[in-house]
Amino acid sequence: MLARGAELLVDGLARGMILSLLGLGITLVFGLGGILNLVLGVFAVVAVIVCSFILGVVPELLVAGVGGVAAVALFALVVDRSVLSLVYEEEGEDRELLGIFVTLGLSLLFEGLLFVFFADSFFLESDVPSIDLGGASITGSSIAVIVSASVLFGLIYYFFNYTYLGIATRTVIQDETGSILCGIRPRRVQSIVFVLSAAIAGAGGILYALDAEVAPASAFELTTFAIMVSIVGGVDSIRGTVAAGIVLGIIITVAGALFGSYLSTVTLFAAAIAVLIYKPEQIS
Amino acid sequence: MNVTRDRLVTPLVFVALLAVPLLFFDPSTTYISRRFIRVMIFAIFAMALNIIFGETNQLILFMGGIAAVGAYTTALLAQYLGISPWLTLVVGALFAGTFGALVCYVAARRQFTVIVLAIVTFAFQMIISEVLVGLRDITRGSTGFPFRGLELPAVEQLTGLGPFAVQFYVLVAIFAAVLGVYTWLKRSKYGLAFAAIRQDEFAARATGVNVIRLKVFAGFVATFIIGLVGPFYGQTTGLIIPSLFSFNTVDVLVLIVLVLGGLRSRYGPLVGAAVVIYIDNFLGNFGQWRTVAFGILLTILFLYFRDGIVPSLQSLVDDRELPAALSGALGRGKSK
Repeated sequence: MLARGAELLVDGLARGMILSLLGLGITLVFGLGGILNLVLGVFAVVAVIVCSFILGVVPELLVAGVGGVAAVALFALVVDRSVLSLVYEEEGEDRELLGIFVTLGLSLLFEGLLFVFFADSFFLESDVPSIDLGGASITGSSIAVIVSASVLFGLIYYFFNYTYLGIATRTVIQDETGSILCGIRPRRVQSIVFVLSAAIAGAGGILYALDAEVAPASAFELTTFAIMVSIVGGVDSIRGTVAAGIVLGIIITVAGALFGSYLSTVTLFAAAIAVLIYKPEQIS
Repeated sequence: MNVTRDRLVTPLVFVALLAVPLLFFDPSTTYISRRFIRVMIFAIFAMALNIIFGETNQLILFMGGIAAVGAYTTALLAQYLGISPWLTLVVGALFAGTFGALVCYVAARRQFTVIVLAIVTFAFQMIISEVLVGLRDITRGSTGFPFRGLELPAVEQLTGLGPFAVQFYVLVAIFAAVLGVYTWLKRSKYGLAFAAIRQDEFAARATGVNVIRLKVFAGFVATFIIGLVGPFYGQTTGLIIPSLFSFNTVDVLVLIVLVLGGLRSRYGPLVGAAVVIYIDNFLGNFGQWRTVAFGILLTILFLYFRDGIVPSLQSLVDDRELPAALSGALGRGKSK
């Protein structure tokens, strides 16, 4: 019983860290420029697809993973420089609305293309063996996810606290006009952070594919999960999003084991609704 | 829209609509009739979105879910009680409307921005989809159940029309009623109050407009309409299944219909629905390219064509009339 509980907790933690990464993808872009990026799930799926193609040539998951993330970063840069530039021309609520509709259109476009050209489902194999801890069997994929995600969180923490660009990003999140007065160019920071968020989502997608099959249809699901995590975490709080992802990951894993998977998904959405009703002013 | 032109357009539209079954419906091929029925259903959905989003700036993204609430309530209650779904239709619509009004009440009370309401309703959409699949004992899960109850055999016999033609006329009647309500709303003090809310909510409140009550009212009307048409939508495929009411199959399409046709225009939803359903059917043969095409359409519409077809045509006509009227007035001025 105790061993089963520990297994669930570790699996939940792994799942939660993936949710945190995806949630961060939403939080960074929305917090920074008010665009709710509905293309995020597509970025995650594309990273997985590129990764599995590279694996066919170079049988090393780390190399393929970095390749997948880099490809998605490039993809995101193109999206940002072309279509999103038009959205950033608007301000305030107009930008938020336009952002939702335009990224919804783009996500349909890319999802459709994925369906046409890569209709298979993809699964990545980690070489990490399962280990036995006091009777609890911890799966290799969970260990791989927890270790890689921890490294990524460390890097993200370092970026936002110790690099000029990271601090500039936090300045723009707090006050766009104020940041201009400090000599920061918001549009440039927005571009860099959009690419960064896509890379983080790509990494999240690759880690997700260690434990579950990823298909074009996963893009929509990953986007919605990411939005809900980001909302529960407070939308413009990086720490909040990470914490929310981990807590929700554990809750839905445990709830899924106890009550079945559909109620665990409902829990996630209900949590987001409850947070929004309690604190609607966090998104404004 | 000016009143004289309106007097001309309305009868023309309805004469055309009434002639559709006589001209195009063929008992041997049902797919053409189904296509026209889909146009009417999506036109009415878009009219409802026009009332809540176009008029009061409340963006709801659970139209599929609300239609499902209406459809499942109507069909399941009729089966449970062993009565005709015509009797439970209003119960389903009322249930959907009450749910929508409740969401709008909380949203208005807690002062949700457009985005917050959009996300909350989207989350509800996901919950409704999950519950419909999950509550297998009641809803029969993802395989759904057949539904054909909203037919009028007596009328078919009396008039000699086929079931699809009767269905189409019922939807035209609902469309006319919704159009009537919308026109009345726009021309009454409600229309003024809606405009005030849209432009500046705080100023509206300061001048004595009861913002919460009006938003809830618009929310109730819109979701009631969607809940009412939901069962008809389920009947188009003869099968009520959760995937019929998903975000991608209903909400995305309705948004495109409304924006393409023209936000806050009276006939925009009908024009938009006709165009979108035509494209939808045309692309149906190309599999997932359909999704690609709608993605491109949605992106381009919002970036470059937010005015919509009907308002653009109107301003085109007005631009032509205006110089003529102006030069006429100037000419008279000179001769005096």
